[in-house]
Amino acid sequence: MTAGTQTQTYVLDKASKRAWRRRQLRRAGVHVLAVLIALWILIPIWLIATMAFSTPQDVRAYPKQIAPTPLSTDTMEFFLNAEGILPATRNSIMVALITLVLSTAISAPTGYAISRYLFPGRDAFRLGILAVRAFPIVILAVPLAEQFRDWNMYDKIYSLALMHTALTLPTTILVIASVFASVPKELEEAAKVFGSSPFQAFMRVVIPLALPGIAASAIFTFVMSWNEVFAAILLTLENRTLPALILYTLDKSSDPFKFAGGFFMLVPSLIFIFMVRRYLFNMWGQITK
Amino acid sequence: MSRLRKVNWAPYLLILPSFLYLLAFFGWPMIRSLQLAVQRDSQILPIYAEPNQESVVVGKLERGTFVTVLDVIREEKSGAAGGLLSRPQFWLKVSGLTPDGDEVVGWAERGNVFVQDASRSDTGEVVEKEVPVYAEPNGQSEVLGTLPRGADVKIVSWSEQGARVEAEGLLSKPAQWIEVRATDADGNAISGWVQRGPVFVEDATISARGRVASGEGAREWTLDYIKRMVRDRNFKKALTTTLILIVLILPLQFTLAIVMALVLQARPRFTTLFLYIYSIPLGISDLAAGLVWYSIFTQKGFLNSFLQELGLIDKPFIFISNEHKHWIIVAIVLAEVWRATSIVMVIVVSGLQAIPLELLESAELFGANLRQRLWHVILPLLKPSLQVALILRTILAFQVFAVVVAISGGEVVTVLANETYRWYDIGGYNNPHVAAAYAGFIMLISLSVAVIYLRTVRSQEEKVAKP
Repeated sequence: MTAGTQTQTYVLDKASKRAWRRRQLRRAGVHVLAVLIALWILIPIWLIATMAFSTPQDVRAYPKQIAPTPLSTDTMEFFLNAEGILPATRNSIMVALITLVLSTAISAPTGYAISRYLFPGRDAFRLGILAVRAFPIVILAVPLAEQFRDWNMYDKIYSLALMHTALTLPTTILVIASVFASVPKELEEAAKVFGSSPFQAFMRVVIPLALPGIAASAIFTFVMSWNEVFAAILLTLENRTLPALILYTLDKSSDPFKFAGGFFMLVPSLIFIFMVRRYLFNMWGQITK
Repeated sequence: MSRLRKVNWAPYLLILPSFLYLLAFFGWPMIRSLQLAVQRDSQILPIYAEPNQESVVVGKLERGTFVTVLDVIREEKSGAAGGLLSRPQFWLKVSGLTPDGDEVVGWAERGNVFVQDASRSDTGEVVEKEVPVYAEPNGQSEVLGTLPRGADVKIVSWSEQGARVEAEGLLSKPAQWIEVRATDADGNAISGWVQRGPVFVEDATISARGRVASGEGAREWTLDYIKRMVRDRNFKKALTTTLILIVLILPLQFTLAIVMALVLQARPRFTTLFLYIYSIPLGISDLAAGLVWYSIFTQKGFLNSFLQELGLIDKPFIFISNEHKHWIIVAIVLAEVWRATSIVMVIVVSGLQAIPLELLESAELFGANLRQRLWHVILPLLKPSLQVALILRTILAFQVFAVVVAISGGEVVTVLANETYRWYDIGGYNNPHVAAAYAGFIMLISLSVAVIYLRTVRSQEEKVAKP
């Protein structure tokens, strides 16, 4: 809508019709480009979904159809009933839930401190978190797996969750800090003026306002843990998470299994990204600051 | 104001948990990883030139090393010591790789090498005094009688208890029980269970594969693992592929991300919808992305189907094969660009939002075309965001893993992270030291690349500042 008014102002403003036409052309170009990029992202998702909802015969067929006809859940059922998939899915969910709780609980106070207090060492701490965020996961997984073996914690759901908490912590801290920063300080102060204790002001004013953002960050933490595969495959053996199991059995699995697996792993991401879309920029924009 | 303010401890208390957590899970493992790469803390088995302990040591094998058994000899030992009858000793001629990757061939004692599927003969000999025979294969069951030393037993069956895979992937020695038929000390026929130890049973055959199970304890600093990594046949391949992928992926990713951000900046209709679609890949895992693109590039995949429908090919072209490594690389690059461009885009978009609108408008007003605005206004102002994104993406690109495995299987085309995994994997090489060396190597190159980036950026800024 804003775009429309903008063009109109130009028409009213100046007579130069040529400029106006060029503008229209460019706008058309922008739209074509926008649609092309959207297709580049959507078509592969459509294709894997097609595979997941075709019959296994159609999945093996060649040339392939680009829409699932007939629509069938056989391939998905075959995947879900394959040995170990359901326990692995349960493991993945458990790991992601523990990670979500731990990561949010540990980062919330830190996020609050970073956004509300000016203290010596604050910038260094922030910088440290940024550095850790970019840190290679690969190097952490090997020694932690060794350590967990020594402590008899290897191949346990909670040890992988501890690792995932470490991996997600830097991002979660930065996101939660930006969530708290978006709650106006004045509101908190006003509450104090009207007689709330600092704690009451925090609980009654800051928390309700920050809660949706924190929920979005928690969802994002869940997705990060659900997606993580390198640490998962190194730290588990019997209790594989879903991505670790799929990766581990890749060379023995059939195409229907792989495609259904790929789609199954993708679904939560689609849903969750949709749920947190309003906060995406809040989250990822943070890394640059 | 000059008065020293009381230090407010509240923020420090609030950041303490995450500070400690990060220290424990980043600081400590990092040190431990470097230590793993350069310190041996294991058992080393000397390999002799001749089948006796007085001969020359030709090499050393680490505990857990796979060996090929080339020969077996039996050596009678006159051992009155320990009350044993002459229990023969076996020597195996083995061949295996030393910790730094050299091949060594020589003799080792049978007891130090675990050979899993040795088959055993069906007779044995009692080598200890008064061996109890139990009703069940455990020491708590009823004792049926005793066997004298030297008695021959006929073996009916075996029972192994408590055999388990240890953390290192070695089988711990199980308690072996043998069901025997024999004549007891009083001359009566007896049948029941005895423990294997006191009854000597010769291996009828020995499998050609074995594993070093024990040796002399060793804890020392060593470069063996790093040497082993560098000499590894996949090391160069993995490094080259990783670098090629980075060189191909990053420019594509950044160009596309900037285009996406500019398109969004131009606010087309349904901007929010486009924004959501462009953000979808943020939540897609590398493994899922790899599988998605595998479905396109595999032999009976969508790309072949498409080309065939168009009549461009008449039989499927095999993109993913030993002969077409470049096609595998293309598939991996597309998958990575498809998946990870959104992350860069989000960074670029928030960078764009920070650019004052008046600046862009005035550039336009003064007649700068899109290309000029891009080169002279937008990109220079985006530089800080792009630098951060570049460092982040490069470091992550050195860890590319699941996409590669999903598309190529990890054999034909391999990358550094995949080698780390293969060296660690219990079903694979099972050598955490070499895996740690790989991990350390990845960290080293990612850090140096980050430093080089930052240096270049700074020197460029100085150049701009000086004239």
